[in-house]
Amino acid sequence: MSAISIQSVSKRFPNGFEALKGIDTEIQSGSFTVVLGPSGAGKSTLLRLLNGLETPTAGAVHIGGEIVDAHRLRHIRAQVAMVFQQFNLVDRLSVVTNVLTGRLAHRSWVGSVFYLFRTEDMAVAQEALARVGLTDKAWSRADKLSGGQQQRVGIARALAQRPKVILADEPVASLDPVSSEEIMGLLREICDRDGITVVVNLHQVELARRFADRIIGMNSGRVVFDGPPAELSAQALRTIYQREGMEHDNSLDLALAYA
Amino acid sequence: MTTVSILRWPTPNGLPPLPVVVSLCAVLGAMWLTASLVEVDFVRLAGSMGKMAAFAGHFLVMPDWAYLPELFDKMLETIEMTVLATAIAIVVSLPLGVLAARNATPHIAVYRVVRDLLSLMRALPELVWALVFVSAVGLGPLPGVMALALVTVGFMGKFFAESIEVVDHKPVEGVRAHGAGWLQVRVFAMLPQALPDFVGTVMYILDHNLRAATILGLVGAGGIGYDLVMSMRLFQYDRLILIALAIYLVVTLLDRLSDQLRSRIIHGART
Amino acid sequence: MSNISRLQPASPTPTLPPRPRNLFPVWLAALLAVLWLIVRDLEISFETLAYGVADIGEYFSRYREPDFSDLSRYLELMGVTLATALWGTMFALVVAFFMAPLAARNLSPHPAVYRAAREALNFMRAMPDLLLALIFVAALGLGPLPGALALGVHTAGFLGKFFAESLERVDQGVYEGVTSTGANFPQLVMYAGWPSILREALGYVLYILDRNVRMASVLGLVGAGGIGLALHDTLRMFDYGQSAALILVILATILIIDYASAWLRRRLG
Repeated sequence: MSAISIQSVSKRFPNGFEALKGIDTEIQSGSFTVVLGPSGAGKSTLLRLLNGLETPTAGAVHIGGEIVDAHRLRHIRAQVAMVFQQFNLVDRLSVVTNVLTGRLAHRSWVGSVFYLFRTEDMAVAQEALARVGLTDKAWSRADKLSGGQQQRVGIARALAQRPKVILADEPVASLDPVSSEEIMGLLREICDRDGITVVVNLHQVELARRFADRIIGMNSGRVVFDGPPAELSAQALRTIYQREGMEHDNSLDLALAYA
Repeated sequence: MTTVSILRWPTPNGLPPLPVVVSLCAVLGAMWLTASLVEVDFVRLAGSMGKMAAFAGHFLVMPDWAYLPELFDKMLETIEMTVLATAIAIVVSLPLGVLAARNATPHIAVYRVVRDLLSLMRALPELVWALVFVSAVGLGPLPGVMALALVTVGFMGKFFAESIEVVDHKPVEGVRAHGAGWLQVRVFAMLPQALPDFVGTVMYILDHNLRAATILGLVGAGGIGYDLVMSMRLFQYDRLILIALAIYLVVTLLDRLSDQLRSRIIHGART
Repeated sequence: MSNISRLQPASPTPTLPPRPRNLFPVWLAALLAVLWLIVRDLEISFETLAYGVADIGEYFSRYREPDFSDLSRYLELMGVTLATALWGTMFALVVAFFMAPLAARNLSPHPAVYRAAREALNFMRAMPDLLLALIFVAALGLGPLPGALALGVHTAGFLGKFFAESLERVDQGVYEGVTSTGANFPQLVMYAGWPSILREALGYVLYILDRNVRMASVLGLVGAGGIGLALHDTLRMFDYGQSAALILVILATILIIDYASAWLRRRLG
């Protein structure tokens, strides 16, 4: 069975905005998928459905065969980790503690509310930190790190969960090009070595081309492209990025020529 | 199954961070030492649960409806004391706030004297001032208003001075460059900047003063406080329940009102 | 580029739009009217005030010679007062610690829980501590303990509201970061909630401690222990010397606590 199964999913927000209009797709275990599209296409919403941060108004999402619903969130989230555009670390806490929050689903809450962890948890955290190359910053406060470093802490936190799936919602949008390379490389390496399914939201076409096994292009809440990077032609790009009323505008082609 | 693992904290040495340990010990130590002073006695507390329950039962009586008009008068008096005292305090603390602000005061000595004066005014609780003023001018709402106004000036003067001290100096320089006099600089450049914060402070102070005003009657300084204590002493629960309810309603009403006003003013200041 | 000709104004210069109505003078007049009515209703006679003010000089001169003969007893009473304030604040802290996350809209597990917690905190704040002290004295007898409990319950309402509002101001992303790892409510609160507001929270606690020292010094007036009762007695007996001494003791203590808490707050950053 596939790692992620999205069946006829639609999402309509209380203010009437329809973010997703009938998405049907399967994501294979161990694959590296990039969801590409302009702002407002529904990429974020789609990703957030996968770990229960949003609930669909129609259809269902299954992770590893189990349905994602309100009752099983802790169980689902123990296997599905998320990396955020704004890193979403707890500023005051140390890097280590931030990474350790990835173990919270695996601990009963009695010890963890006192900030007590088992040695196995500490070992997992150390391993995750070593994997992202931040061992020497372990005891620094999270907000004292640079953007790229903070995102690596975010990835370490995700790794500490020992997840089956890692979701990354625009992980490099707030980073400079060099850090972006680092982060995308790290995610790709994690996917290849550990066999973790990775789904990344991006709006940078070049990064998508270079790192993805499969690209899902979205526009206005629908999937408008689904295939390997090789098939991502100029025509396909135009379909993904076009806005209403811009069909005959050549500024889009100009922008995409440099993407 | 795993064997019992050692638990540790996420610090280099596995122990909780030093500042946490030190402050926790200090606080717990202070409490341990002062327990006898406060006559903390958990046995007594547990035992008195029964008495508390019985006491609560006393409130399940028919309220003394005949008392309502008098209650209304007293509550109105309480509210009026609050409003009057706060209004007086605003008028007095505006100039005092200017004098107590380092960037607006005419002379550093004036600044120091006024700051100390304000500090003294708010050092004593309203009730203590009320005691003193009752002793000076007699019973009634007057000493209550005086006490409230005095303490409020102490707080508002300080808040206002601090707001003035953080105003942007560019408008001030701009106004000065056009030849504005001493007073004009303060009125036209400093005050308008400090005012939005000040309004929020006034709301908060009105809230606080209303609560303070409800108890000033305890020492004869007007308001519902006297009736409150008397009905308690005379076991007039049928009145007490009305009084408690009235206080709760009025305080809550003002609370909601000030929340609303504050959010509307914040929006206004931002647009 | 012949658009330049369109830049010439139409014949007469346009007049300014009508000035928006400024209601400020109206509000001010209404306020002054209300204030005048209040003065009338409270029967505050300016005569009494004038005489009072004239007398105030003479009145305050009676406090000129503080009588410290009973100082050791006063200091002891002040000690009890301080202890009462400390215990009351700690009690409030414990209650607020558990209630504040429930009363924070973006953390609370359920909207009904949120509303109930907020109402409970409002109720605790609305009751004047003196009333609570009276009730606790009736139940527990005289002494400082009912005073501490009364302070605790009342300020728990304040502290809970301050904490809850701080928790609500935390960036939602920080909460999502911890939630997405599968943390449950207590874990979310401990790892994303309290660490994010620690500095503010400590500031609030110090402020409440400060406030409780003031209130504790007057709770004695209702038999809840401490220095307030002594002051009441000396004033009633017109013993201005002793009253002056008492007031100075209270004043000195409050000022010391003020400085200490301001210093602590500066050190916290």
